[in-house]
Amino acid sequence: MAQEHCVIIGNGPAANQAALTLRENSSDTRITIVGQEPFPHYRPHLLPEYIAGRLSQDDLCVNPPAFYKECGIKVRLGQRVVHVDFNKRELVLDHKEVISFGGLIIACGGKQRIPEHLQVFDDLMLTLKTPADAAQWIEQLSQVDSVLIVGGDLTSLSLTKALLSLEKRVIFMLNEDSFWPVPLCNELSEKIKHMLTERGVEVIKAGRIKRVTRVSDRSLEVETDNKTLRVGILGAFFGMTPNVKFLARSGLDIERGVLVDEYLQTRFDLVYAAGDCAQVYHPTIKDYWVSIGYQNAINLGKVAGLNLLGGMLSVDASPESIFFIDGIIVNTSWWTEF
Amino acid sequence: MPVVDVTVEVCGMAGDGTIAAGGLINEAMSDGGFSVLAFDSYPAEIRGFGRCVTRSRIGNEEIVALEDKTHVLISLNDEQARSRVPFLSENSMIFFDSNPAVYVREDKSLVSELDPEAILFGMPFNDIATASAGTTRGRNLTALGCFAAICGAPPDLFRAVIIRKFKSKGEKVLQTNLRSFDAGFDYALENFSNRIKSIFLISDKVGGPKKVLLSGNQAIGKAAIDAGLKLYFGYPITPATPIMEYLATHLPALGGRVIQMEDEIASIGAVLGSYYAGTRAMTATSGPGFALMTELITHGVMAEIPAVIINAQRGGPSTGLPTKTEQSDLHAAVFGGPGDSPRIVVAPSNVAECYHYTVKSFQLAEKYQTPVILLADFYLDNRVENLPMPEASESEKSGSNVLPENSLKGSYRRYEITESGISPRALPGMEGFIFSATGLEHTQTGVPDYSPENHMLMTEKRHRKITGALGDLPSPEEFSSGGKLDVGVIGWGSTFGSILEAVTTARNRGLLVGGLKITSIFPFHESVIRAFMNRCSEILIPELNYVGQLANLIGYIHSKDVVRLNRVTGTPFPPSAILEKIEYLVQVGNE
Repeated sequence: MAQEHCVIIGNGPAANQAALTLRENSSDTRITIVGQEPFPHYRPHLLPEYIAGRLSQDDLCVNPPAFYKECGIKVRLGQRVVHVDFNKRELVLDHKEVISFGGLIIACGGKQRIPEHLQVFDDLMLTLKTPADAAQWIEQLSQVDSVLIVGGDLTSLSLTKALLSLEKRVIFMLNEDSFWPVPLCNELSEKIKHMLTERGVEVIKAGRIKRVTRVSDRSLEVETDNKTLRVGILGAFFGMTPNVKFLARSGLDIERGVLVDEYLQTRFDLVYAAGDCAQVYHPTIKDYWVSIGYQNAINLGKVAGLNLLGGMLSVDASPESIFFIDGIIVNTSWWTEF
Repeated sequence: MPVVDVTVEVCGMAGDGTIAAGGLINEAMSDGGFSVLAFDSYPAEIRGFGRCVTRSRIGNEEIVALEDKTHVLISLNDEQARSRVPFLSENSMIFFDSNPAVYVREDKSLVSELDPEAILFGMPFNDIATASAGTTRGRNLTALGCFAAICGAPPDLFRAVIIRKFKSKGEKVLQTNLRSFDAGFDYALENFSNRIKSIFLISDKVGGPKKVLLSGNQAIGKAAIDAGLKLYFGYPITPATPIMEYLATHLPALGGRVIQMEDEIASIGAVLGSYYAGTRAMTATSGPGFALMTELITHGVMAEIPAVIINAQRGGPSTGLPTKTEQSDLHAAVFGGPGDSPRIVVAPSNVAECYHYTVKSFQLAEKYQTPVILLADFYLDNRVENLPMPEASESEKSGSNVLPENSLKGSYRRYEITESGISPRALPGMEGFIFSATGLEHTQTGVPDYSPENHMLMTEKRHRKITGALGDLPSPEEFSSGGKLDVGVIGWGSTFGSILEAVTTARNRGLLVGGLKITSIFPFHESVIRAFMNRCSEILIPELNYVGQLANLIGYIHSKDVVRLNRVTGTPFPPSAILEKIEYLVQVGNE
């Protein structure tokens, strides 16, 4: 494997950790990261701080490009994998370039999950996953006073904090399935509402959004089951879903994400998946779980990298590990940190 | 208004429309009020055999040299464009075909070569061009449309140039190109809307003094016509052929003639014949052709017959590198040929000088009755600059033959020894005078004479005459703050632009550095050069030849060895290499 070309699809925390792990353990392996976004590896959980003006775009960056050059890791940004042929061991980029690989780690992350009934309003809603999204928020926030947030995942709460610091009026429609795949129990939901309200957020119970209309450059009209709101920005936050559509006809086992065993191996030899795009088999519960959060992604990336080089490490799937997200224990105390 | 200084490259295979696309960029940006300096590199073969690259430096200040780094690369052929990757700046913008006809392996892909900082704009050139105009022929225009949209360049600038270029080829061709351009522009607006640069390529100098885009070759051709050229004799050779093409287009309508000769020997022979008869004539060639001419050039020296010879230097020796630039004919121009044969050699350093030195060459040739060699080079000949249309005054264009007084009839001596070395020259048809065109050593009356005394006398006369031409030749031009300098950089020809850029940068960094441009290669202004050298701790002479031919010519003047910086890469001298050497010399001098 050491002499082979190892390709990593994705440029998030799992992908980067996998690449660095490969390099640390195999100095002569040729390593290529192929990332769809045009940005160098960044810390997505800090995007709200960037929007608040407390961090610069450089602060988001984990490592400068020169770091990867020094490590001998080829980083290809803004390039999308559109197909993988596991028999030929080739992948195809959207500009019809064919790359051969010996080993492959799929760590292409997730994309924003937008519930079906909201997808029709896609053009009128903002989400927050990338620096490009953040730039849109910054641009639009400079012109508006109020934001309606629907959903309620971790990002939305961090963003709310940022919006309050910018003295924006925040209206929150908390949705019970917003913290997908972790469900919010009623007790937690009530506590979140309480905490938000205490901070000056208007938490409303408004049912489903039925219509969104742009009234002016600075104003949207949002019609729900029981009320009509006039806001500057509508933000949707329903967690992430694995971004694996391009693998649909590749022969991989895919459910929500790429199905892998506890060693993160797919059904193909020397092909692994890690991070938000993977569904990892849990031998105890005999079912698959989906990783969320920055630290989990890093842990999985490391395991994938080591196993690709011949290791047999299983992932740490203990609850205290997989629910420890961005410095917060998700289902016990995360909301109290808000 | 932000400072604009951007280098745009178009790269493709011969036949991809690369040169046309680069030319359109130059014209549009020139019309838009920018300064433009552009240079094309293409293979010696006609089609399908090699890489074409156009480099256009666009700025809102005067531009004297090409930049080392490229900010925008438009790839019409990814495999060829891979070679340009080492020259890309950080955060360069790359326009490429995202849907080529065939799948491309990683080792042939442009994108695989790029650093992650590169900003990619992939778009299906072929598909867009075909959908809009029914043919892929306009894919280069599609790429330009995308470039214009992303860089915020007004599309009407490009449309106007497209109309100008293609109108004469018929409505169908024009519309194909316009539609292809518009489709690329619209595609970029639609697909890269969040990446459009705001007002990037719009100049505040629109509507300023009218400028024209002119290549060195065109400037030489125009100058020759303005100077009253009547006869052009030549044999095609890269990179001089465009001069003949220009003259073939324009000269006949003015009553002149362009005649393609059987070779370069015949060409220079015909030029000498024309001048012998009193008619202004010119030839243009390159190194291999110039080598063939040298014997007859010295015939002009010996017989004291004017001639204007353009040597458009290219890489050598022999047929060498036909489409690459070099400055390696200086020795040949100054010393080439049998015997002690002094002649005048001038070397312009930019397009405007190509014009003015060509005009001047005609007067010098007539007045000093000698071949005048104008040393250009591939880079200077082919690069285009936008500048106010150069014009020469009547006095610059007027004839300068030194004719004998009528009173000398009967006692006229064609090669009379004079203080200046210039002997009045009678033209055939002047009644009562004798005419001579002998290549043999001769007496003052033109009679062959090989005696030691006569040869000494006449050799000295011919040298005195050429030395005396210094008074009519422009003095070296200094670019410095005066006073003592740590490093003085001396240069000639097209390399001087790179020198000036490097010297300016060094001075802006606080270094005591100056530049000296020498355009009069032979004879040269020794005292002026010496005065400059005496004020400099180190003298650096960058040249595009292996041994340092100017350094060989003038190096002896300095009190210590001059520092030579020589390259034979076939490409223009990069300013950064000169700057690096300057900084090194300053540092060493300070230690």
